[in-house]
Amino acid sequence: MSAVWAAAKAAIRRRRLQTFVIGLVALFCTATVVVSLALLDAMSAPFDRALAQQRGAHAVAAFDPAKVTDAQLTAARDGVEAAAGPFGQVMFEVGGGSGPVMRGPLTLVGRPGPGGDVDRLDLWRGRWASAPGEVVLNAPPEDETSFARGPFSRIPSLTADGTTLTVVGWAFSVGGSADGWVTPEQMTELRPTGTQMLYRFAGDVSTREAVQQRLTGVTTGLPGGALIAAQPYQVVKEEAAEGSGVYLPFLGTFGVLGLIIAVIIVGNVVSGAVISGFRHIGMLKALGFTPRQVVAVYLTMVTVPATAGAILGTVLGDLGARPLLEDTFRGMGFGQDTGVPAWVWAAGLVGIPALVLLTALVPASRAHRLSAAEAISAGSAPRRGHGLRVQRALGGTRLPRSVSLGLGHLFARPARTALTMASLLLGVTTVTFATGLSDTLIRFSALDAAAGGDVSIRPEPPDGPTGVTSSRTDDEVEALLRGLPGTERIGVALGRPVSALGQSEPIQVNFVRGDVAAMGYEDQLLEGRWMAAPDEMVATSELLNKRGLEVGDTITMELQGVRTTVTVVGETLQNLPGPGDGLFAPWREFEDAEPFDYFYQVDLTEGTDREAYMQAIRSADPGLSPWSRGGSNELQVIVTGFSSVLAVLLATVAALGVLNTVALNVLDRRRDLGMLKSIGMTPRQVITMLVTSMAALGVAGGLLGIPFGMVAHRLVVPLSAGAAKVTLPESVLRVWDPLQLALLVLSGVLIAVVGALLPARSAARLTIARVLHNE
Amino acid sequence: MTPLSVVRSVPGMTTETVVRLDGVRKEFGETAALDGVSLEIRRGEAVAVMGPSGCGKSTLLNMVAGLDRPTAGEVTVHGERLDLMNETGLALFRRHHLGMIFQFFNLLDDLSALDNVALAAQLTGSSAATARRRALELFDELGIAGRRDVYPAALSGGERQRVAVARALMNRPALLLADEPTGALDSRAGEQVMDLLIDLNQIGQTLLIVTHDERLAHRCASRLVELADGRIARESALDRV
Ligand SMILES: Nc1ncnc2c1ncn2[C@@H]1O[C@H](COP(=O)(O)OP(=O)(O)OP(=O)(O)O)[C@@H](O)[C@H]1O
Ligand SMILES: [Mg+2]
Repeated sequence: MSAVWAAAKAAIRRRRLQTFVIGLVALFCTATVVVSLALLDAMSAPFDRALAQQRGAHAVAAFDPAKVTDAQLTAARDGVEAAAGPFGQVMFEVGGGSGPVMRGPLTLVGRPGPGGDVDRLDLWRGRWASAPGEVVLNAPPEDETSFARGPFSRIPSLTADGTTLTVVGWAFSVGGSADGWVTPEQMTELRPTGTQMLYRFAGDVSTREAVQQRLTGVTTGLPGGALIAAQPYQVVKEEAAEGSGVYLPFLGTFGVLGLIIAVIIVGNVVSGAVISGFRHIGMLKALGFTPRQVVAVYLTMVTVPATAGAILGTVLGDLGARPLLEDTFRGMGFGQDTGVPAWVWAAGLVGIPALVLLTALVPASRAHRLSAAEAISAGSAPRRGHGLRVQRALGGTRLPRSVSLGLGHLFARPARTALTMASLLLGVTTVTFATGLSDTLIRFSALDAAAGGDVSIRPEPPDGPTGVTSSRTDDEVEALLRGLPGTERIGVALGRPVSALGQSEPIQVNFVRGDVAAMGYEDQLLEGRWMAAPDEMVATSELLNKRGLEVGDTITMELQGVRTTVTVVGETLQNLPGPGDGLFAPWREFEDAEPFDYFYQVDLTEGTDREAYMQAIRSADPGLSPWSRGGSNELQVIVTGFSSVLAVLLATVAALGVLNTVALNVLDRRRDLGMLKSIGMTPRQVITMLVTSMAALGVAGGLLGIPFGMVAHRLVVPLSAGAAKVTLPESVLRVWDPLQLALLVLSGVLIAVVGALLPARSAARLTIARVLHNE
Repeated sequence: MTPLSVVRSVPGMTTETVVRLDGVRKEFGETAALDGVSLEIRRGEAVAVMGPSGCGKSTLLNMVAGLDRPTAGEVTVHGERLDLMNETGLALFRRHHLGMIFQFFNLLDDLSALDNVALAAQLTGSSAATARRRALELFDELGIAGRRDVYPAALSGGERQRVAVARALMNRPALLLADEPTGALDSRAGEQVMDLLIDLNQIGQTLLIVTHDERLAHRCASRLVELADGRIARESALDRV
């Protein structure tokens, strides 16, 4: 064994560059794998993870206090793993006035604090209610700037039935147990109409039915009719999935791609290392090493740097993944779940070295079978007559001899060339696919962000917090807004419930005028076109799916007392903010519309300060409540960041693969290089020879890899979007233009040249005296 | 003549002097492989360097070939100060004025024998056709014309060394350097290479041969330089056998 160790140590020392590259490749691959796996893991169940972390309720139940006592509720614990409550609960009818949110009935719960066995709230801003007259509201966490800009900061208090509650804090319940919380004393004063119990059940809770069943188990002992309502956690989960679901498949694709590339590159690098060592293997055998010992030497040689790289890579990947995941899931409204789970660590630490070991085993076992003489000559004897003919033909061309020698070498060693080509091809395909994907992602989120405008405005209702209402008509409000400096586009919408033939529930229709189409909504068309006539409408995919409609279908509606048949002429991605089913219709006047039924959306000219603009609106008319969207921009930044990080990681790994292959080529040809230098090849010519041959491969790799990458993008992106039931507008898939393609070919050449330059330069500096006299 | 070579040419040195080493010292870390070696080789001479293993023979040869630089002292070859040149300058110098043969031939495996030899001329800018023509002449002279399309792997040791000699002679070097040229050959093949070297010297080729082989030294060399511990221990004229 000590002989094996000694030989392996010597080999590692002799091949410092290769050892370093194996370590580096292992490092980057591990980091990529850890980031990818952590991402996939987090994505597989962001909601479930967040729920588990908060110990959120599997069921939020409301009981009738007239029928069941608190003591009875506390005692009923059949199949319950943990429970919180009983808490008093009341519907708080907020008249409105707080912009787009917190209107209508809110569920308030009296709770002594945010902790407990179940539903441990994330109190992300302010403090918990400590005295009557105080309330904490439920919302996903936001950072300082988004909060300041967003609608929440416009809610200082809530008023209903003469009670005013001051907002003292913001907390988030992943399971959505309430809209707000007050002290138990305040709740008593509000006269609770229900009693809330929060349950976590033991056993299977994967479906609504299962949760229902567990709940029945709890309530069987209680008086009949005690349970007023119960909400299984799946309800909230489905809502949450709608918001962020679009991005998950894309990010997931990156994760999977990262895994695949890492595995292939590691395989490529390691088998390259072993193949290039054949001559060395022969010598070991000649020395009397048994085949088994030779394999052991080789495995040790690659596993040592791979393990070192894997350890560093895991740490690096963890450090990198943490903030990314945190931001991503915070941006998606799942709180600050962050951890990289233990199994991902294990996969990084054990997986990559194991993979290295496995891939090394294949060529190493070939070395096992080779006789000493065969192995020694495998490094020197030319095998392909074809390649040699090419070499000879090239020797006769007018190319500088250093260039033609380099090119000829590609053909003389077809196996090595194939290996290099594979890593280049992979590199370019990866870079193509990754940039395409990240481009699609960026476009998609830009599309997402573009719609919705910069500032939204709604007139205050009479019972709003300020008590001030606007006396302007909708036309006057529009005129006011148009007159403000910084206004670029204005869209006006009036939301009305409209009853439709064959639909049991009325449809909330947004009647729009002004620049709505140009504010991003028309860009989001997935199919059809924007409406052009009074009897045409455009619907969101969600609405079409829900109501079983298609583009081209007609709907018969009761409009202003007249039966009208309208045609759905287009399908879009997104609805206007606020309530509504996502049907856009051309403007109509409604006599009975209240001022606060109107909604205004403004795009600002480049460089206009949102705060100042909103301040200008407030001072022009205190009855108007403006707010600006936060959050979604953040998500865009995150998504862009994530995809860029992964794209860069993958490109780096690909470049390292090439670097390694070239380094091996150089190592393998030390004697040749020494000889060429001894007969007068200059250092520059040595570099030219090595770099041009690799650049040629780079061009070939670029020309082949790009179509591969493009096809993969075309196939994989819609596929993964489809898995999340999202249709993508064609515009986000058409991401390539000729310039970009040229840049991609260049990237192939660049990867190859960068990969070749380092070893080529060290080859040019090689002290040749030793190599030539020995061996 | 370019201005640079004017600077480098050493005044007072007759064109008859091909190599002049002046107080050459070469250190590898603590040990001095060469310790103040001064040596002159005139055109047409055949000098053999001998000595025990590790005494600095190859190091000396490397100095003359510009493959390595002295720690101190001057190395002048063909009128040029090699110790003052940069890597590229040395490469160009070797290309035009030196030929080298080694114990282990150092042929390129994926070029045929002929192309290996032609390569040396192609590096100096000759066209492929011209280079091959000149290589063929040499193959004829060296008696290996029949092996011109064979790849090195299929050549015998003696044949490989003759191909290596042909390559070294391609650019009509002022000086032919050989480090153990017979070291890897059996006695018959060794004899052939020796005969070749003698013939070359007879037509005026200057030779510097490093060897362990007494026979080689006595048959081919007109002067013997004996090294010990990096110093010249003895110099003697030889009567060729
Ligand atoms: N690149 C090098 N690095 C360190 N030491 C070296 C180097 N080259 C030569 N030496 C040392 O310099 C001394 C002279 O070496 P050199 O190769 O010139 O000996 P030599 O006379 O050619 O021996 P041999 O007959 O065995 O070929 C030796 O001690 C050797 O170890
Ligand atoms: Mg020697």
